[in-house]
Amino acid sequence: MPINVTMPRLSDTMEQGTVVKWHVKVGDKVTSGQVIADIETDKATMEQAAFDDGTIASLLCPEGKQVKVGEVIAVLAEEGESVSAAASGAAPAAPRAAAPAAPAATPAAAGRTIVADVKAVPVEIDGERTRVSPVARRMAEEMGVDLSQVTGSGPGGRVIKRDIVLAAENRSAAAPVARPAAASAATGLVAAAPSVAAAPAPQAGALVHGLQSIEVPVSTMRGVIAKRLVESKQQIPHYQVTMKFSMDSILALRGSLNEQLSAMEVKLSVNDFIIRACALAMAKNPFFNASWAGDRILVHQQVNVGVAIALPEEKGGGLVVGVVKDANLKSLRQISGEVRSLGEKARTKGLSMEEMSGATFTISNLGMFGVDNFTAIINPPNSAILACGAAIEQPVVRNHQLVVGWEMAATLSLDHRVIDGAMAAKYLQSLKQFVEAPTLLLV
Amino acid sequence: MSALREIEFRDALREAMSEEMRRDKRVFLLGEEVAEYNGAYKVSRGMLEEFGPRRIIDTPISESGFAGLAIGAAMMGLKPVVEFMSWSFSLVAADPILNNAPKMLYMSGGQFGCPVVFRGNDGAGGQLGSTHSWCVEGLFSNVPGVKIAIPSNPYDAKGLLKSSIRGDDPVFFLESERMLGNKGHVPEEEYVIPFGQAKILREGTDCTLASWGRPVHFCMEAAEELQKQGISCEVIDLRTVRPLDIGTVVRSVKKTSNCVVVDQSWSFGSPGSELASQVHRHCFDDLDNYVHRVHTADVPTPYATNLEQEYLPNARKIVEAVRSATYNL
Repeated sequence: MPINVTMPRLSDTMEQGTVVKWHVKVGDKVTSGQVIADIETDKATMEQAAFDDGTIASLLCPEGKQVKVGEVIAVLAEEGESVSAAASGAAPAAPRAAAPAAPAATPAAAGRTIVADVKAVPVEIDGERTRVSPVARRMAEEMGVDLSQVTGSGPGGRVIKRDIVLAAENRSAAAPVARPAAASAATGLVAAAPSVAAAPAPQAGALVHGLQSIEVPVSTMRGVIAKRLVESKQQIPHYQVTMKFSMDSILALRGSLNEQLSAMEVKLSVNDFIIRACALAMAKNPFFNASWAGDRILVHQQVNVGVAIALPEEKGGGLVVGVVKDANLKSLRQISGEVRSLGEKARTKGLSMEEMSGATFTISNLGMFGVDNFTAIINPPNSAILACGAAIEQPVVRNHQLVVGWEMAATLSLDHRVIDGAMAAKYLQSLKQFVEAPTLLLV
Repeated sequence: MSALREIEFRDALREAMSEEMRRDKRVFLLGEEVAEYNGAYKVSRGMLEEFGPRRIIDTPISESGFAGLAIGAAMMGLKPVVEFMSWSFSLVAADPILNNAPKMLYMSGGQFGCPVVFRGNDGAGGQLGSTHSWCVEGLFSNVPGVKIAIPSNPYDAKGLLKSSIRGDDPVFFLESERMLGNKGHVPEEEYVIPFGQAKILREGTDCTLASWGRPVHFCMEAAEELQKQGISCEVIDLRTVRPLDIGTVVRSVKKTSNCVVVDQSWSFGSPGSELASQVHRHCFDDLDNYVHRVHTADVPTPYATNLEQEYLPNARKIVEAVRSATYNL
């Protein structure tokens, strides 16, 4: 019986997916657990493994094409089965139920065999990419060796340390004029970068009302941002409430903590304090940690604060929300460490589904860009989002005196189905208490 | 004169215990046959004579009982040294030694420490069969709160055992029946060796060999052979696996770009797998190949002598692993 491989559901919200890259071709033998394709979901690109052993009879979904979850994307011929028969016998019209979520457990060892097989099984992944050992990659970069010009002598053509040493020696022998290191290092990087990370090339041509424009294809992420935020703005009765916070104490505390923690390479940001303050303010204001569910309101018992992270332009831009789970139970230092690693990971290799799921409240901060004040769109199914501006040194009145102080404006966007104006004001008061007496955040 | 003094591993152990017993009245030794019979492996020869039956105590064949007794004594301020004839027998005392001793300080909120040393033979002694050939470090190193020393030579054995007895924590001190007769230089002057300090036994440039206990000797043998083949190995004796001196290994791997871990316990969930994992983490950008590991085979210890030989790590297997790790196969 030919086995249909279907587009898997890789996240709760995934409705369709794109095969970004096939790692196999027709005729390849695959074993259960072997990675056969990279699949782009609405949130991330993930590796898809085969669930069965067999031979690839046909690949029905071309790279780059978006298909619905459950649709057949490939057909496997079972052991002993003719590949061509399997290919023609497969019925894309009658897709099998969604593939199981996890590969089947290894069958128990037969009989009374007590000798476990611990021999290393080489993992062979078919593909065009150059395999390079980590130290070889680093040395190539440092020595300015173009990896695409190096033949690997390791297993499966892996480029190893001695290949780089040899290449560097040959180069200096053959070409007395050294190539600029930076340029060749960059070439190596590009050769190694996964193709999905490259920004789509703009297409020239489209004319709208006589304007000359450039057409930029919409990435999956951009499509999701568009869809979800339109839904949010159309369905959620948004309103905004702004409050100003005196930041003198928080900045002083941050300065003093960072000075003491610098030896441990801890550097707390203002946003880390805001995250903790927002999380702690939930205790008195549980509806800020809630979701509208049509005929009822779900008040969440876990405080997971989402942090909007902008992705770099060269990676195609966009925005993801990294989630600090149980933020009310974590210290500033823990929060700071998590936010930092979420940000770095989001900007480099991308966050996992787990790291982007489960936010109950979201914070968007444009303070670092010098923005005074702005409003944000609620990140469903949250009921509120806080938009933070910069802490700005300005004239303020304190004790009937005009003095210079640090102030920050923060604006809540709220779902009026869950939160009324007076509740919003109360939440901001709680928040203000923490922000203006920030030692409370340390206990 | 003392620079030339060579003594057996078992004598180094006895010197460590006797010196500490002379130094501290709270220290005493208990175990099966340790007194009248001078120890099943003659480690405690003469100690009954010197210290008397109140401090050198023969116990019944009841590991769970005397291990528990020692833990109680340690909690009340004494410093017992328990000899297990074989660590294989410690498994019947798993509750006292694994479930109580390492957790005592924690569970009592710092009120009771547990300064007890458990020592004895670990690993295949030679045709002792599956149940008497345990390398317990695979199981025991999983438990937080214990210190584990696995010395490879008389000098380290003495220095580490002395610091084990002086310390405030439970220590598992793993010896090898196959090494008790090994001779090595041990000075007459007093010294102690702190835990968590690896020793570089041989410097090299192409591959780091990291091991502890008996297989260290196989590593040295393999390094000698590999030198003839043009591959230069740096051999590191970790000496203790809890704590593990990862820093010394990392500094070495950053130099050699390759690492082979040799561990005579089973491979799955072992000190060797932990070390390899830590090297992968700290040396990710410095590695030219994944960390190779040489362990005993993943089967119960065979009785037949030829099978037992093939089951254990040896110089040939280490040479092969290094050649593979350095792409010289």
